[in-house]
Amino acid sequence: MNKKSMYLSIGLITMILGIMLAIQFRTNRYIEQGVPADRAQELQVELSKLERDSRKLDREIEDLSYKLEQAKKGQLQAEAAVQDELKKARINAGLITVSGPGIEVVMDNPSNQSRRSSIFIIRDEDLLRVVNELRGAGAEAISINGRRLISTSEIRQAGSFININLERVEPPFQVLAIGSPDKLKSALEISGGLVDYFKDLGIEVKIQSHSSLTVPAYHKNLQFNYAKAVRKG
Amino acid sequence: MWLGVWLAVLGLAFGIALGLNLPVTIPQAYAKYMSVAALAAMDSVFGGIRAALEDHYDNRVFITGFFSNALLAAGLAFIGERLGIDLYLAAVVAFGVRLFQNLAIIRRHLLKK
Repeated sequence: MNKKSMYLSIGLITMILGIMLAIQFRTNRYIEQGVPADRAQELQVELSKLERDSRKLDREIEDLSYKLEQAKKGQLQAEAAVQDELKKARINAGLITVSGPGIEVVMDNPSNQSRRSSIFIIRDEDLLRVVNELRGAGAEAISINGRRLISTSEIRQAGSFININLERVEPPFQVLAIGSPDKLKSALEISGGLVDYFKDLGIEVKIQSHSSLTVPAYHKNLQFNYAKAVRKG
Repeated sequence: MWLGVWLAVLGLAFGIALGLNLPVTIPQAYAKYMSVAALAAMDSVFGGIRAALEDHYDNRVFITGFFSNALLAAGLAFIGERLGIDLYLAAVVAFGVRLFQNLAIIRRHLLKK
């Protein structure tokens, strides 16, 4: 009995020792392959810190992209405003074709051969007076025989021809003016006005109101070599 | 007598085989305690063999010695870690020295025969 229990305990104890040793071997090998415990902890701390940083940066990305979007929106609006302003400026300058209600004035030299002396033919002054009258009546865009009149346009006698925008125009003169048709018409047809005057000279004048007519754009290059803009303020 | 030795070797081999095949690994934090405990257990077994050779083997002393040595060694290592002293070195030295003493005595006994 004593011997038996002794053998039994020896076997059992050595077996436990063997298990302990084997587990220890394996654990040691595992430790050598893997990372030490404190290193793992260090890495864990670093990982959590980096995750926190990453979250922070994510929030920052969100914030910045929101700001960028806002800025882009603002830029888009600004661009639209600038385009709008540019369009307005181009209309004002006469650089684009415009259309609207207005009148058409057709003037021709007297058909009567006998009265075709130099006194009775249409001169630059006559056109200038028409243009002046139209502008006085609020014409917003004027062209003569397809030449758009802009701020620098001249109407000038050059020998027996008339130059507009440095280009020769010949009768009959077709003056297109955009504005209130009634106002423009009455400005010309007022008694003792231009039409009466032209009729006296024998110049044929026809005035027609249009609900919509098109005034072409100034087609030359507009260049200011001397005038420079002065900054306000 | 020789049956005991063979039983011890057999148990050891069986235990190692079992331990290598068990899907158990202890956490790395406890590996240190386990190693000291294993050393203490080894010392106990050699002490048991020596006692058997000197014919004053006591089963109870052997078994209690085995477990108490292992637990004490692990406990020392644990407390040492908490205290900031490498106290497990004490266990390593003590059990290491005793291991060699036991081994030397066993060798003498075997040579005397």
